[in-house]
Amino acid sequence: MPTSVCTAKASYKKIPGVLELNDSNLQWTQDGRKAPSVRVPLTDAASLFCSKEGATQVRLKLGLFSDDNGHNFTFISPQAVAYSEREKFKKELTTIISRNRTAAENAAKPPVTALNASNPPTPKAATTVSPSRASSSRAASVSSDTGATPIIPGNDPASDFRLRKTVLLNNSELAALHRELVIGGQITESEFWEGREHLLYAQVASEQQHKGKPGQLVDPRPEAVEGGEVKIRITPQLVHDIFDEYPVVAKAYSDNVPQKLSEEDFWRRYFQSKLFNAHRASIRSSATQHVMKEDPIFDKYLEKDDDELEPRRQRDIDIDLLLDLAATREDHEETGNEQDITMQAGKQKGALPLIRKFNEHSERLLNSALGEGPSHKRRRIDESDYETIDLDDLHDPEASIGIALEMQDRQRYFEGRMTNASTDASQETLDIKEIIQNTNAELQQWASSLAQLKIERKPGDAALLSMTQNVAARLDVKSKRNDIPDGLFRQMRTCQTAANEFLRQFWTATYPPITEGPSLTTPAQRAAKASKMIGYLSKTSEKVAAIVQTAQQQGADPARVDVAMKPVLDAVERALVFHRNKKTSRS
Amino acid sequence: MMDTLCVVIDLSVKHWQRSATASDQPLSLPAFLIQLVAFLNAYSAGSSDNALAVFAAFPGKSLMLYSSTDTQPQSTTVSGPNSYPPFQLLDDAVVSSIIHHLESLSDSEQEAPCPLVGALTKALCFINRLTLDHNTNTSNAEGLDPIALPDPRVLILSVSPDITSSYIPIMNSIFSAQKLKVTIDACQLSGPDSVFLQQAAHLTGGSYLYLERRDALLQHLTMTFLPSPSVRGAIAVPTQDKVDFRAACFCHKNIVDIGFVCSVCLSIFCQPVPVCSTCRTKFPMKTLQRLNASRPPAQPRPAPIGTNGVSKANGSSYGTPA
Ligand SMILES: [Zn+2]
Ligand SMILES: [Zn+2]
Repeated sequence: MPTSVCTAKASYKKIPGVLELNDSNLQWTQDGRKAPSVRVPLTDAASLFCSKEGATQVRLKLGLFSDDNGHNFTFISPQAVAYSEREKFKKELTTIISRNRTAAENAAKPPVTALNASNPPTPKAATTVSPSRASSSRAASVSSDTGATPIIPGNDPASDFRLRKTVLLNNSELAALHRELVIGGQITESEFWEGREHLLYAQVASEQQHKGKPGQLVDPRPEAVEGGEVKIRITPQLVHDIFDEYPVVAKAYSDNVPQKLSEEDFWRRYFQSKLFNAHRASIRSSATQHVMKEDPIFDKYLEKDDDELEPRRQRDIDIDLLLDLAATREDHEETGNEQDITMQAGKQKGALPLIRKFNEHSERLLNSALGEGPSHKRRRIDESDYETIDLDDLHDPEASIGIALEMQDRQRYFEGRMTNASTDASQETLDIKEIIQNTNAELQQWASSLAQLKIERKPGDAALLSMTQNVAARLDVKSKRNDIPDGLFRQMRTCQTAANEFLRQFWTATYPPITEGPSLTTPAQRAAKASKMIGYLSKTSEKVAAIVQTAQQQGADPARVDVAMKPVLDAVERALVFHRNKKTSRS
Repeated sequence: MMDTLCVVIDLSVKHWQRSATASDQPLSLPAFLIQLVAFLNAYSAGSSDNALAVFAAFPGKSLMLYSSTDTQPQSTTVSGPNSYPPFQLLDDAVVSSIIHHLESLSDSEQEAPCPLVGALTKALCFINRLTLDHNTNTSNAEGLDPIALPDPRVLILSVSPDITSSYIPIMNSIFSAQKLKVTIDACQLSGPDSVFLQQAAHLTGGSYLYLERRDALLQHLTMTFLPSPSVRGAIAVPTQDKVDFRAACFCHKNIVDIGFVCSVCLSIFCQPVPVCSTCRTKFPMKTLQRLNASRPPAQPRPAPIGTNGVSKANGSSYGTPA
């Protein structure tokens, strides 16, 4: 017998009974019955909603992982008692739900997704989300590995507003559309974002990504050159970067500042020293070069240029033989292997220090991103060679058989198009042999026929004329300038984007919803929205007519506006016809 | 500037006969060849560097008739004081080998269709060979990407309708031509417009011409096909105004405005199908429902279609039938 945590008188579907929470289930038993008619395993508890303080009825709604609608209970004791009873249930259930949700998040499934913004949960339940609607949410997948609380679009009006604002700020075209339609009062904010949720998810995802260390090699550049003087602005960040990149400078700093040199002197002399010159990130000649001086302090720290055949800083890890480029020595000559002569280390001596500096820098960057990896164990080189060169990628994956393309009845398809041509061919029978004989007899005279060849004037002129017209027509199109005035062009664009948005809204409301599970809006709402959009769309032709008229007034060619707007009008017409047919077929 | 031109001639005896006996502006094979020869001479006269090859699709086989890069057997007779030997050499090689090959057609070959695509493929191989020679003879001998010839071009002169079973080889030839940067020009001399040649010309930036005045072939040839692609920026040549890109559905061979395309094999259907009849892929019920919902429930009259022949279905970003 499970231990009861708390009980209370509560009604379920308007039938009075007793609600009981024990250590494994939440259950409700109708008055006068023995067995509970509602029993919810606590592990299925996903969310909790409570009626407002001061509401006439004291209610509690439990959402489940398996069922979004969950269960509604009304506490039926006198109100003061009911409140305290509910608070007790609420306290217990909140703990259980948060435990369940942590478990769900730890399971690798994408845990959470949006409740639609147009359908906000009751304020008290603002932090609960229903995971059963989980579609793939990139935001969550990023957050799950960073461990941060995910921001879910559509859940919190404040962060939603901020997200939408950011998205609009980054996308001027969308912002223009938003200004036109939402701020212009034609559609609502939530309608606008319906079907664009992915933009918000992408924004969340990009916000939650960690920014790594910038990959640039520290390279202080002179800011201004005045009368041969070089100015380099030293910021704390720059100092940090230099110390990080060149530990020898950090050592020089701690050795000499402030005893031997003041901070200012230290940097002035460093930037004029050979040491700085050795630390530059490129071989470009810069203004700093000519002020390079002998410096008794800094020259002590100068290292010899790292341009020997072997790099000064040897990588201490044991290199996998199969990855070691130096190991491309001649072996297996019998199979035709030759020494690799394309890579010659140190061919350009001057570039070596720079290349090695870059390599070290890249390694440091990688380590800062990956963390210092475990020290590489010495790889056994006596492993069976076959084992080492047996690469997984080269194995044929057995599981994927794929779908072989076997086109059924290919001949029939191709011949289908050409039935006309082939039927008339079969009707007549030709004596090929005789035709060939006649043709050849005529061809024997080709030399004299060629000598007599001339272009007949009349057909020649006709051909010339028709071909010239062909070319001229295309030339005409090409030579036409875009002479539509800016203002008019903007009007045309606005008209088109608005119509496109209405079309998008119309078709999303018309088609069955893509999302799996319970749809976010009822069929009635969707139908109402479609009708509303049709209302807007039916005005498109008026709008276009107005633009054509403006074109006339401004001296632009109205026919060109007509042509430009025709595809939009066609698309609108299609939607209107579709809507009309749907209505008539229903009635 | 060196040009390379490969002329592919369709020598379907059957269709030439039809063209010769047409009631409206008949054009016989001998009359065609004389004008072609004049065109070839004009092309050769353009520059002594111009490379020329002539390929022919005979019933049942395709052959190369002439190539300016091969040494020709010396012509035995020089006909008259007006003849220019290089032209005569070319003319003789083309016409004589046509006579020869027509005569030697076996009975079974005579009835066979003309493999125009075979001749086209040979022309592309020829251009490829010239490209390789061109690369070994220049500093690019060790280069990784072969330098394309300056202006390689294939001109197809067709008299037969499309052979539908050669659709796939034609498309493959077009892709090869694109890779070799070969322009394909095409001229349909009689019969119906060739859909395949229209597409070949369009996809390679060439010119497709339907010979409207068969009594003025040479006029058409010189105006449209003599200028090489490189000078067509300055000398505009006629070409087709529109190319019909609409597809036929695989199920009924109807030309469709809105087709439903299998996401696996790209087969086209005029209505949503639960299983692709080509590759047997099964589609989810949900998708079918959505696609079906996108079609008008009843169609009292077809929806208006855009002037360009492609109807813009709607502005929805998804679920739009292709
Ligand atoms: Zn069909
Ligand atoms: Zn398929």
